[in-house]
Amino acid sequence: MNKEISITINGEVYQHSVPIRLLLVDFIRDVAGLTGTHVGCTFEGVCGACTVHLDGEAVKSCLMLAVQADGRSITTIEGLAVDGKLHPLQKAFNDHHALQCGFCSAGILMNMAEFVKTNRKLTEDEIRGALIGNLCRCTGYAHIVDAIKEVAGTPAQSA
Amino acid sequence: MYPAVIDTYDAPTSVQEALQALANGGSNSYFLAGGQSLMQAIKARVISPKCLIDLQKVAELKGIQYEQGAVRIGAMTRYRDIAADERLDGAYQALRDAASHVGDRQVRNRGTIGGSLCWNYIAACMPPTCIGIGASLDLVSKKGKRTLLAEEFLQGPLETARHDDEIVVAVTLPAPSQSSGSAYEKWGLVTDALPVAGVCAFIEVDKDGRCQLARLAVGGLATGPRRAKAGEKALIGVTETDASAISEAAETAAASTETQSDMWADAEYRKKLIGTLAREVITTAFARAARGKHS
Repeated sequence: MNKEISITINGEVYQHSVPIRLLLVDFIRDVAGLTGTHVGCTFEGVCGACTVHLDGEAVKSCLMLAVQADGRSITTIEGLAVDGKLHPLQKAFNDHHALQCGFCSAGILMNMAEFVKTNRKLTEDEIRGALIGNLCRCTGYAHIVDAIKEVAGTPAQSA
Repeated sequence: MYPAVIDTYDAPTSVQEALQALANGGSNSYFLAGGQSLMQAIKARVISPKCLIDLQKVAELKGIQYEQGAVRIGAMTRYRDIAADERLDGAYQALRDAASHVGDRQVRNRGTIGGSLCWNYIAACMPPTCIGIGASLDLVSKKGKRTLLAEEFLQGPLETARHDDEIVVAVTLPAPSQSSGSAYEKWGLVTDALPVAGVCAFIEVDKDGRCQLARLAVGGLATGPRRAKAGEKALIGVTETDASAISEAAETAAASTETQSDMWADAEYRKKLIGTLAREVITTAFARAARGKHS
């Protein structure tokens, strides 16, 4: 019923005994207390607000159990800025007014932070295609696309 | 939308361990592949497993291998990896067409070909694609191994020929003729949505560019994914440039397919979709087969 697990989130190790049925997103929010990762569609896996990085890859944390992330490394929105310096995408979202209510922003930023590492300029079609798994009900996406376009292919993303 | 109590969770590292975990787990045990469908079913309590066997650590189930043209795709190979593998181009390019538009990029980072085939959801892309390209599935149990064609394995929606004590280890494809090509296309309500209808075509042409082997497979059907054999027959002898014969074969494929009415499309509209998609994938598959012939 319960299992002892150890998950590294944003470089910090969280070791807990958790119910097997506990979703990863609830581990992140309720056990680790990192509430920047959001739940939009009440766990149906369609809104993308709960997107985090699992060993560097964007995944929906409501479609995984916490026990599946045992021994793995998670990055959440709280870990995107390093040493107080905003990620280039965060800065671009700010500059382009790419968020309104902000509920979807954490998931979009985490998905796009992996996507822009493709190391080249991206077309609007490619960016819109990559955003299919993230719902935004405020912006109409135009400013989000602009912000991502500005960052994709810049040297900071080539690492 | 929250899972019922789950008694045990296992994360085996080999197929043998996975089979042992399955034997230990009892009748209400499920293998968990990428989890992009199964977790939804678990949360909605469509199923309430007592034991979950997570296959993500079984390295031997992952990756695409090529041996003298034959292809072996581990059951735990993700959409992301299939979509990126240019070696599939030509004969088995339909797999890339399908994998690159499943769900969204987060889903493609987790979802697997084996998981999709074992779940055999009505609105899924891998089932008709694997039937169309003539794929087989390798199944292993403690008693031994067997191989089934995808069209034997895949039955009605959510039904397969997998026995309770078996695990699907790989999807295999024979070494294709140089002059063969395939394509897959779906139609859904929004971009990259679950398919209301999906069609896969596989075409092999002779030295004069005439179709000598054709397979058409249709998904989104209440009967489960099916071949449209009347359409296949109509393609024999047809060339890439004969647009009217291709259209006729596509219409025949649609007319001979049993379709259902549901909240997304009525039966007649679904036939229209299938006919249009069939024409497009046949045309693309011909072009890909021709490229192989000239190279």
